[in-house]
This record gives sequence, structure tokens and C-alpha cells, in this order.
Amino acid sequence: MTRTAEAGLIVAACTLAAVGVAIVEFTRGNWLDAQVAITFIVFLLGYGGLHVAIRSWAPGASTLIVPTAAFLTAIGFVEIYRIDANLAALQRWSLLVAATVGSGVLWALRDVGVQVLRRFRYLILAVGVGFLLLPLLPSGWAIGGATVNGSRLWVRMDVPGIDRAFSFQPGEIAKVLIVVFLASYLAERADAMARVDRRIGPLSLPEPRNLFPVLVAAAAAFLILVYQRDLGASLLLFALFVTMLYIATERAAYVVSGIVLALVGGAIAYLSFDHVQTRISAWLDPFGDPLGAGYQTVQGLFAMGSGSLTGSGIGLGRPDLIPAAATDFIFAAIAEEMGLAGSLAVLAGYALLTAAGFGIALRSKDRFRKYLAGGLTAVLALQAIVILSGVLRVLPITGLTLPFMSYGGSSLIANLVIVALLLRVSHEERT
Amino acid sequence: MNHSLRTAAYALLSAFVVLVAAVTWTQAIRGPEYRDNPQNPRYVASLTGRERGPIVTADGTLVAVSEPSPTDQQLFERTYPEGELYAHTVGYTSVLYGSTGVEDARSADLLSDRDATISGVLNGLLGGDTRPRGIGLTIDHALQAAAYEALDGQKGSVVAIDPETGEILAMVSLPSFDPNGLVGGDAAPAGQALEEDPDEPLRNRAIDESYPPGSSFKVVTTASGLDSGVASPSSEFEDPIELTLPGSTATIRNADGEVCDDGRTVMLSLAFIRSCNTVFGQLGMDVGGAELASTAEAFGFNQLVPFDLPLLVSRFPDGLELGTDPAATAQNAIGQRDVQATPLLMAMVAAAVANGGTVMQPHLVSEVFTSDGQIESVVEPSVWGRAMSPATASVIGELMEQAVLSGTGRRAAVPGVRIAGKTGTAEVTGAAPHAWFIGYGPVEPEDGERSIAVAVVVESGGDFGESATGGLVAAPIAADVFATFFGVATEE
Repeated sequence: MTRTAEAGLIVAACTLAAVGVAIVEFTRGNWLDAQVAITFIVFLLGYGGLHVAIRSWAPGASTLIVPTAAFLTAIGFVEIYRIDANLAALQRWSLLVAATVGSGVLWALRDVGVQVLRRFRYLILAVGVGFLLLPLLPSGWAIGGATVNGSRLWVRMDVPGIDRAFSFQPGEIAKVLIVVFLASYLAERADAMARVDRRIGPLSLPEPRNLFPVLVAAAAAFLILVYQRDLGASLLLFALFVTMLYIATERAAYVVSGIVLALVGGAIAYLSFDHVQTRISAWLDPFGDPLGAGYQTVQGLFAMGSGSLTGSGIGLGRPDLIPAAATDFIFAAIAEEMGLAGSLAVLAGYALLTAAGFGIALRSKDRFRKYLAGGLTAVLALQAIVILSGVLRVLPITGLTLPFMSYGGSSLIANLVIVALLLRVSHEERT
Repeated sequence: MNHSLRTAAYALLSAFVVLVAAVTWTQAIRGPEYRDNPQNPRYVASLTGRERGPIVTADGTLVAVSEPSPTDQQLFERTYPEGELYAHTVGYTSVLYGSTGVEDARSADLLSDRDATISGVLNGLLGGDTRPRGIGLTIDHALQAAAYEALDGQKGSVVAIDPETGEILAMVSLPSFDPNGLVGGDAAPAGQALEEDPDEPLRNRAIDESYPPGSSFKVVTTASGLDSGVASPSSEFEDPIELTLPGSTATIRNADGEVCDDGRTVMLSLAFIRSCNTVFGQLGMDVGGAELASTAEAFGFNQLVPFDLPLLVSRFPDGLELGTDPAATAQNAIGQRDVQATPLLMAMVAAAVANGGTVMQPHLVSEVFTSDGQIESVVEPSVWGRAMSPATASVIGELMEQAVLSGTGRRAAVPGVRIAGKTGTAEVTGAAPHAWFIGYGPVEPEDGERSIAVAVVVESGGDFGESATGGLVAAPIAADVFATFFGVATEE
């Protein structure tokens, strides 16, 4: 696909967002609204701007990634606009900031390439872990933690002179930094870790000290679970560690021991924490307590079921009945209003991003780039899979944003940084 | 390491395949089940949350209204301001229990068509009125309330009808219930209790229950006798203490077990006033089963009488079979054995007498009006059929007036109005008798004067139990309804 075709698809995605806004306004009895034009312009500035940045600083990059991300963002944005126009206005600002940050990443790496990140890997790890721990700061401080919906994964920052505090989820940024660190760390240690020294039955186990990183990952995930009560981030981080270790070592033992550790950790969590027990029972039998623990799951199923094949139509469903419809459960709202047709389009978008991302990893020339592209793609795909599995009751509900689609600035910025890094790796593979 | 990258890619892409299967399962296969789950607020909204037009009585009393929900801006809440009084007639629209009464029968008018259907959108674009219509009832609120209070908690029914137009002026069934408690998605406990109640409060006894009419059926037997020329009011009948039935060991006795008059002969008119079973059993046999069945069918028995709500067919035995069975004919002629009538049909019997033998088609809905109060359609009175000749109707009217003046129906009298009526005390095996009264007033109305026909049934004797008679239990209830209709203070 040519760069010009990519530009055409981006314009199509911008048009999709604008037409979606027009439909929402029409269902409210309004004709063409200024919001339609503003939305089109902001999407064009955001994704069109990223496109220009690619032409300037990463001209060899894959053309599949940005249009797919733009389509997913557009569909998500229309649903956010339909749920709350004020949220949508904030989301437009987030899109401009995220596209600027993504373009900034391409600019910063234009001469030095992704290799430069290897030099700063321990700094990156420190910042990443620091971000993860940031929400645990006392709430009263100028930069302090905040508890939202029972999970402590937010940071509020009071900026002098501005009356509303900025809040962001540092965990979203941390996941990118941790992928960069792991890719760099594994690029050097993978051989040692892949050595198989012990055998227990059919299972080949690495040297215990080489198993250490997995234990660290499990411990970190468990700590997040305990202190931030964030099942989603915990599961995502752990699955990411295991996936990257497997990619680097090609040892299924890491996956097996990872799954065993996850089950053991999950069992301990189940026995120790009420909120984990509640989630599990709501997953197994949401209709057993449809107004309590199972409420969100049940409302999601009602919404998706009511959407059926073609949906109620944008603006004609009832996303106001779905808890967290603009964030974690945006997929249920989209499925209701756009039907199975819309749901499958969204899933196809994530599958395409996953395939394209791994394609970049496969074609990359060195370990670091392979691990980086593979890890970034994995974290994107895993996040979508974990939250969609929760909404669709394949797994228990764990709170995570749906990449590109959910309302939230931190998430959009982090995901466009992932896109920018993938584009950069893809560009370097051709030069 | 490309091997592990590929494996990881396939694993993650497989996860998306699982999600595709899961979302197809959720939306396409289980979708309708989730959509129509009573706990799904969308389903509730599709049934009860939409705006429905108001239902008002003839005097403008609001009996069903939709108001915007205080908790959900997009929904309406249906309420029934008069509660138990109209529970069966107006009915309800419930998420869990469907809809009944006028709410069900006139749902198409009551619902807005301003929805997402193609016809709704087209109608809106073409400038049609898409607001829900309102329904006007023929019911008189004061009369309805009087009938409800007169029953005084006894199981039974009261139906009042305008004999000249067929308009239903009151329709009450007891025990009743509060329809407001059945509307919402949380109605299950209330609804289950009502469904399991052995007294069947959900059943509309006026149209969906039939009882042996007992002596009130003698109006039909008399009409058959007079119209066929077999008898006249002055016809003399034997006056035995017990009427033996041919080919049967059963006998017919009068309610008090005594002779009707002096034990020799008695005139039909006196037998009517005193409601003597022996005489009417004989009259039935004289007329013959086939002729009696034919008259009963002219009054509406065995017929699907068109009505706004589903009306149970009242039963009289087949004329061909009855023609060869004088014993059964005699027993059915006094409203026992196989004959079964709804309270509404017995009100129509009284109305037919009042209206010179012409049976008007009963109706409950008088008009459909638009959201701005313009009348869109009006239900005109229509003739359903002829039950008897005008002369016969006139004679029976005189007999019924005498029954109220000096016979079994004395307790139905109201001062200053000529009331005609017939009582009935229907024997039931193993239970107290059902108490009946059917009647009308005024007899021979002035030009322009409105009249009213009433049927009252009190199940199993009501508060009087085994000692109940139609004259004791049902007639006073009719008197209260007449008094309210004519604006007369009752003697109490």
C-alpha cells in the first residue's frame, strides 16, 4: 500500500468520525452542527499530522498501522460523543496531544533510531516503575494518588493557576516503558535464560537464577493487585512479561511456569480478597446477583444482545444504562448501537494491528528490534483481549481501557507512542 | 526467535478468533434472549416505557396516564390513578404479566407510532400525527364507584348498561387488585401472590366468568313462552308442591318448599313475581327445549357477542338434544343444570327487556381522541339482534316491575323511580348459592330520559352464605346503583 493510499484511508477515518457526529446530532433533532466540522478538523490535524511526520522522519514505515488506529479511534470517538459531548471535547484535545507526542517520538528518533533506547534502559525502567508506584502517593500532595471506582491507579496533579486538576493514569505510560526495558534487557540475556539445565519429567526448566525475572514479574503484578486493587493492569503486566520471555527464549517452560504462577497467584488472591471473589462469582453467574456484583456484566450482555446483528443505530441505543460505557465498557455500547457488524469490524481492526505489528517484528534484523516490536504489539493486543474478554464474559472483568477507543488521554497518548515506536522499527527494517 | 514470534502472534490472533466467536454468540445467538429479558430495561421500555395515551371515563375521570419517569428521562411510567376500581376494565400493561383490559385491546391507539419503525418515520415525515391517541370510555365514574362500594368486598360482579345504546356504564369485578403494583419489572412478588390467590382477583368476573343464572333466567323462559304463544301472563298453571319430571327421578320444588299460591292453580304473572320454580319448570316443558334454546340464543347465549374485551360465551344446552329431554328442559328453564351466563350477558337480558326486545351491541369504548383533544373517531350505537317482540318485552317489563314492587325484588326499589327486576338464587352443589339480580329503570321512560339496566351477581351468597337469596343480597346492590344513577338518596 502506498503512502498516498494511507493518506486516503486516514481522510476516510476522519470523515467517519465527522459523519458519526452528524448522525448523533441528527438523532437529537439537530441538523449539521459545528461539532461535525470541528471533529473532522481535529482528526485531520491529529492523524493527518502523524502521517506528515511519517513522511518526514520515518518514510519507510508500514502503511497499515496508522489508518487502522485512526478507524478504531474514530469509531470509539463517535460512541464517546454520543454518550457525552463534553467527554468527546476533552478526547479531541487528548487526540491532538497524543498525535503530537507520537510525532515527537518519530522526530526524536529520526537520526539515532530505536537503538538509542537501549542506552537508557535502566533509566527507563526506573521511570516506568516510578510511574507504576505514583498512584500510591498520598492524595493531598500537589502530585498525589487518587482512587477511582475502588482502584488506585490515578494521579491528580494540581497545576497553579488552573482550577481543574489534571489527572492521568501513569500505568498506561509505564507499560510502554516496561516493554522498552524488557526488550533491551532480554536482547542481552536471552541466551543465558534459554539454557536448559534441569529437567523435571517432560518439563525443561532453566537455571533457577534465570527464572528470577519471571518471579519478579509475578511479584510486581501481585503487588499492583494488592496495593492498587487493579486486576486488569496486574494481569496485563504479567501476561506481557511471560509473552516477552517466551519470544526471547523460545522456551515453553516460561509460559507453563507463568500460567502455573498466575493460577497460584489467582487462587491466593481469590482466597484473600473479597473484591476478587466478587469478580469471579460475577463472572461465573452474573445473573445470580444481577443488581449487585453481576450488574456491569449483565448490563453489558443486555446491551450487546439488544444490539443483535445490525444494532439499534448510532444514537438510538441506551449506553446510559451501561456502567463505564465511555471507558472500559465502550465495546458493549458500540456493539449495541452498531450491532454485530460493528463489533466484528472493531475486532478485525485489532487483529489487523496485531498481525501488522508481529509482521514488523518478524522482518526486523536484530533481537532488540524484534523484541521491541513484538512486545509493543503484544501489550496492545493483550490489553484489547483482556478487556474484551471481560466484557464478553470469556474471562472475569478486569478494568482496562480499550486501546484507541475508550475515553481517556493517558491511554490514547500511550497507544500512539506504541504506534510511533512500531512505525520507527518498521522504518529501520527497510533501511 | 522468529519461531516464538510466530507462535506468540498465532496465540494472540487465536484469542481474537475466540472473541469473534464470543461476540457472535452474545449478539446473534443469545441476543434475542438478552434483549427480551424482563430485567433488561430496554425490554421494559419497549413495553411500558413508551408513552401511552390517556384513558378517561365518560365524565372525564383520568383512569390511566403516562408520565415522564423521574429516574429515566427517556422512559414514561404508566399509572392508574383509580387503582383497584378499574383494575379489570382498564387493565394494565406489565413487563412481566403482559397486558389486559382496554390497555390491551386498544394498545395500537394508545401507543405512539413515533418510533424507529419505517412506517413510524414515514408517518412523521409526511406530517402525520404520531402522538399517542387517548381512549374515552362509556363508564360513568360515580356509577362505577357506587357499584364497587355496593359489593362491599363480596366476591362478584356488577355490570350496568345503557339499554338504548349498549354503552357499558359500570363494570366491576371483585376481589380486585392494584394494577399499579404489576407494571414494573419488580412486580414478581405482587403478581405471583395474585396469580396464586384462590379467589382469582386477576379474573374479570363480569366477562370472563359464567355462573348458573338461577331464577333470573326466567325472564328468558317467559319471553320464550309469550313469543311462541304457548302462554300469556294470565295463563293458569297447576300449583303442585313438587313438579315431577318425566323420565327422571329428579323433581323441582320452590325455594321455600311450599306451593306457589293456593296449591290448586296459579297465574303465570303471580308465579313470576313470586319466582316459583314449579311453574317455570312446567312452562319450559310446555315451550319445548328447542324453542327455549332458540330464544336463549336470540338473547346472546351460545353466541360470540362482539365486545371491546374478550367476552366469554354464555352457554345454553343444544336445542336438538334438549327437545327430547323434558326433564333437562325444565331444569334449564329455571336457570339451573347446564345454563351458564356471564354477568355482562345477564345485563344485556335486562337491557333487551328495557329496549323493547332489541339487543344493542355492548361497548366500552366511546371514542378515540388525539393528543390535543380532538375527537378522531366515535363509536356509534349498533343493534346486535332482537331477543323478543316489543309486546312481549312490554309485558315482561310489567311483570318485572311488579316483582320489585311486591315480589322477590323489593330491596331493589328506589323512591320515585319505576324499577323493574328479577332476582335469582342459583343453587350450586357443595357451596352456598350465587345471588343474582337483573333489572332496569325507569319503566316506560319519558322522551329523552336515560335509562339503565343492571346485572348483579354475588358469588356463594356473599356475606349471607347459605341463607343468601338474590332478593336479600343482590337486589340492594342494584338499588345503590340505581340510586346513584337517578340521583336519589337511598333509604339507608
